[in-house]
Amino acid sequence: MANPEPVYDVVWPLAPSAAPAGSLAARSDDLRGKTVGELWDYLFKGEEIFPLIRRALEARYPGIRFVEFETFGSTHGRDEKELAATLPGLLRQQGCDAVISAVGA
Amino acid sequence: MQQAAVISKGVGLPSLPIAEYPGVPMTDGSEAVARKVEALLPQIVTGLAGARDVARTAVAEPGPRDIVARGTLDEIQDLYHDNLWSDGLPVIPPTIDRVERFLAQTRRAPDEVIGRLLPENRAATVWSIAVNGVMAGCRPEYMPVLVSIVQAVAEPIFRVEDAGSTPGWEPLVIVSGPIARRLDLNHGQGVMRVGRQANTSLGRFVRLYLRNVAGLRIPPGAGDKGSIAGSFNVALAEDEDAAAALGWPTFGADQGFTRDDSVVTVQSVVSISPPIYSAGTRALEHARILAEVFGGACSYWSSIGMKYARWEPLLVLGPSIARVIAEDGWSKDDLRRYLHEHVTITARQAETYALQVGATSYTLEAHVKAGVLPAAYATSSDPERTVPVFVQPEKIGILVAGDPGRNQSKGYVNNHIQGGRVSKRV
Repeated sequence: MANPEPVYDVVWPLAPSAAPAGSLAARSDDLRGKTVGELWDYLFKGEEIFPLIRRALEARYPGIRFVEFETFGSTHGRDEKELAATLPGLLRQQGCDAVISAVGA
Repeated sequence: MQQAAVISKGVGLPSLPIAEYPGVPMTDGSEAVARKVEALLPQIVTGLAGARDVARTAVAEPGPRDIVARGTLDEIQDLYHDNLWSDGLPVIPPTIDRVERFLAQTRRAPDEVIGRLLPENRAATVWSIAVNGVMAGCRPEYMPVLVSIVQAVAEPIFRVEDAGSTPGWEPLVIVSGPIARRLDLNHGQGVMRVGRQANTSLGRFVRLYLRNVAGLRIPPGAGDKGSIAGSFNVALAEDEDAAAALGWPTFGADQGFTRDDSVVTVQSVVSISPPIYSAGTRALEHARILAEVFGGACSYWSSIGMKYARWEPLLVLGPSIARVIAEDGWSKDDLRRYLHEHVTITARQAETYALQVGATSYTLEAHVKAGVLPAAYATSSDPERTVPVFVQPEKIGILVAGDPGRNQSKGYVNNHIQGGRVSKRV
């Protein structure tokens, strides 16, 4: 009679989640008169795409204002961690109600 | 899109609205871009106005000592494949007994957190290191090296959160000092080939750990968006006796340690040069070929190195070549200086290459103005002016390894600021 095949009791190879419990910032239901900040990683034609978004939203939402990406600089530059640390203050300073962050890998 | 979902969950914002550009902007003309942006608008508007947090359902995950399954070897392989817990190769079943043999090799507590690994943002516990070390086929005595590898990967400068980017870079582990000999790491002929247990299983461990704990999985998983990417690198060790006999500092010494220190260094590798054969009895004869072939392998990607001005390519010199160079009176810094001065590309090439990757508004002049690059990169606006491929020659790693019976070297190109070189004492 053949030996029974061994069986193994095995453990989970992942690790505990360290993801924080964040929550989305409150959104306005209406974009009229609101200020939208633009964050960009300076990749993948943002210089072409942001103006298209701007024009389209301005046509639909009177009074909407944009803080353009040049104000903040690249979110994927050498000093991006420093930028990320100061970003909440910068966005408040610019009066942003919402942000479009454009990224790609 | 799936990668974005992994990241948003990892940073604690699983409800973050994401608008997805359909297709590839870099291969779309202006008309297609305009059409697709118009189609994107409803998603953008929803994200800006009206998006709300979705109630989260708590998902209970197993504890470290929980037995998640009992089965035969084949059943365990199937379970790990089906759950994306494996790298596609058979794994050693991580039983508690095996994991404990690894834990016995460290004084650290199993629940000690070495760091947090994005994008999935999991706590890199000592326990999880041992589990994945078992699975990768490591021996228990490798455990201190495994911990040091994870310490290095968890350093912010390594940027593990970018290890799933499209270039598809792979970590390279370099083991220096007495532990390399104790663990029987190969540093000679065939050093970067699978076949020696320590080199192979340490390299495999890193990839497995990034899948399971950082959450970098290719489809059908998510998180790893390497477009074509590459497989794991086996761990590299230096022929330190050969380096020392030349009067050169070892690679470990170059990282600030002594020869008596056991050290693990991790850095990214995004591509590898051809084998570089160089002949002759003078340093200059070898330096010229190294500049052409290693420099050539680095040139295309140097535009991205210039974008961030922190780039750490690695040159693995065959022992016979290092001997000629050293006996001709050259130091490692002399070789670095030669490469810096003689490997150049035109500004037009640098900017064109960067554009192809996606840096559509990139110019060398703008980076000089921003203080990222030195003034030498914008001495004129002539697109045919030449600029150094290596922004910071001191960051070119040089290590002696490979076949002592042949005249071959090889270069390893790292992925600019992603996977920056990090060393940890074992």
